[in-house]
Amino acid sequence: MPIAKSERLMNLALCLMNTKRPLSKRELRESIEAYREAGAAGEQASEDAFNRMFERDKDDLRELGLLIDVVENPLDGELGYLARRDVNRLPEIHLDAEEAAALSLAAGVWEQARLAGAASGALQKLRAAGSLAEDDAEGRTALQPRIPAREAAFEPLLVAARDRRPVGFDYRKSGSAVAEARTVEPWALEFWHGHWYLAGWDRDREDVRVFRLSRIMGKVRSKGGRFTAEVPDHVDVRQAVARFAGEGATERARVRVRRKAGFPLRAKAVSAQPVDAEWDELDIPYGLGLAADLVEYGPDVVVLEPAELRADVIARLRAVAGVGAVASESEVGA
Amino acid sequence: MSSAIDQTRRMLSLVTYLRERPGARVSEVARAFGVTERELIRDLSVLPMCGTSFRGGDLLDIDTDGEQIWWHNADDVAQPLRLAADEATSLLVAARAVAGMPGLRERDRQALTRAVAKLEAAAGDVAEGSTRVGVTFEAEGDVFAEIDRAFTERKRLWLNYWSSGRGELTEREVDPIRLITEGHTYLEAWCRLSEDRRMFRLDRIAEIKVLDTPSDPPPLELRDLSEGLVHPSSEDPQVVLEVAPGGRWVAEYYPHESAEELPDGGLRIVLRTPDPSSLLRLVLRLGPDGRVLAPATLAEQARRAADAALARYAG
Repeated sequence: MPIAKSERLMNLALCLMNTKRPLSKRELRESIEAYREAGAAGEQASEDAFNRMFERDKDDLRELGLLIDVVENPLDGELGYLARRDVNRLPEIHLDAEEAAALSLAAGVWEQARLAGAASGALQKLRAAGSLAEDDAEGRTALQPRIPAREAAFEPLLVAARDRRPVGFDYRKSGSAVAEARTVEPWALEFWHGHWYLAGWDRDREDVRVFRLSRIMGKVRSKGGRFTAEVPDHVDVRQAVARFAGEGATERARVRVRRKAGFPLRAKAVSAQPVDAEWDELDIPYGLGLAADLVEYGPDVVVLEPAELRADVIARLRAVAGVGAVASESEVGA
Repeated sequence: MSSAIDQTRRMLSLVTYLRERPGARVSEVARAFGVTERELIRDLSVLPMCGTSFRGGDLLDIDTDGEQIWWHNADDVAQPLRLAADEATSLLVAARAVAGMPGLRERDRQALTRAVAKLEAAAGDVAEGSTRVGVTFEAEGDVFAEIDRAFTERKRLWLNYWSSGRGELTEREVDPIRLITEGHTYLEAWCRLSEDRRMFRLDRIAEIKVLDTPSDPPPLELRDLSEGLVHPSSEDPQVVLEVAPGGRWVAEYYPHESAEELPDGGLRIVLRTPDPSSLLRLVLRLGPDGRVLAPATLAEQARRAADAALARYAG
């Protein structure tokens, strides 16, 4: 049975942490059984396989936060490796019972495997260090927040943004069936209104762009080289998306809404007055996409003004009613 | 499922933790590490193959009888390790997001804010990466205090709730089960009106009151929500929609069985729902960008609703 990867990684970590002098690749290979099993030294094919395995293992340990020093031996020029205790130690930190409980609640929000693993790994480190006071499960909030990240693009973009590496992907714009290849320097990821967005520098358009992750088709490809545009200190993905979603609208629309209906409209209305026993009149912010929002309510909502919104809603209703060519519409009040 | 990286990370913390606790109980260690006892036992079967020395010997002599864990040559082979970039990011982003949640109790919010400050200090440079990920939960805090009280005091709630399916406010009494936040916050509760479990979106609760009646939901198994809040069953009636390119977003928002490309750039989407008429609002919203192929009743319902609405403009 081949030796489990976790056993190999654990042995490498323990060797690197428990040596006072840098260990050469050769020494590590001799002392770790999994490396010995990977093939006999001296043979070119097994030499290459070992080298690849060793490089990957070092990268994996770095993912865990281990800082590995690479030191050149002044006598023979051979490289040696070690993980110094002082630089790898968790600084003194102590969380009281309330803080520890709140942090465990927060650590449980991730559904995405990489971040979920990282969050529980971080708590385990704190727990092992004795940094977390024992919390009692009593009096916990009933809230169960969750952050989904089911999009395949999430993890590669997260890593690329962290390592500041450009990426390429096929992106399908809203309402378009065709995906276009884009080359982007990923800056920041934002979860907002239930969706993940990426903000970054679009190299072809030479401008900042916001992408919705669910519209990225296929694989995110890692591109060579570094970022070319300067990363701003603060990337406001939300503002860019909000502008696009028509939030922050300054204009108003006047609509009639049947008494018990249209609660979401009432919730965002600027003002509301009863008209008669059955209808209320509402002033609501008029932004992009309002016609589609209003038409959802069918006969429970009637648009009074502006005229263009009214016409848009009527046209949409006609499409559903199956009325053919849009005839001239009567401009009669509701 | 745990990856080799997660397992290695856990084992490194375990050896630090176990060194301080000879004879530690399997159940307690598993709880402290947030893993099942089986996972922990698996870790404990790997550790005796690990060691610090070169050329054999000096393996970790750790064993367990399934109840307690013993480390016979306990030694300082590991130490509390610094946080990795992903670890700091995952904790800090989550903590900041939860601290910003409208429904959180003030005491918890303050505790979390203190924890974030301490973590930032302990993480040092690697905390910087956490500014590249942001999470916002929607502002739906108005009704939260009552819901929180209903949970704490185990009381029934009265709601005036706007049901999107019916398009109306309906009054009902519910026994709270749990709160779930995924973008929006939902109250899962046993609805005394429908005698079934229901999800209530907090921003659609128009009025709320905590009743004196004790909450008494029937014993229920909590559903696994890792695949999303909506779980259509294969028994549910099928709905077939054809959407133009402008309606492709439907496939992003609605869990569906299939979405087949159409020559005009649109999609034919097949989905299932216990109540097809709950999609009436979707069909109206799609307007010229959508067409119902099945069931005929839904198409007819949409046509009638549109006719009725048009009549209001013609009057």
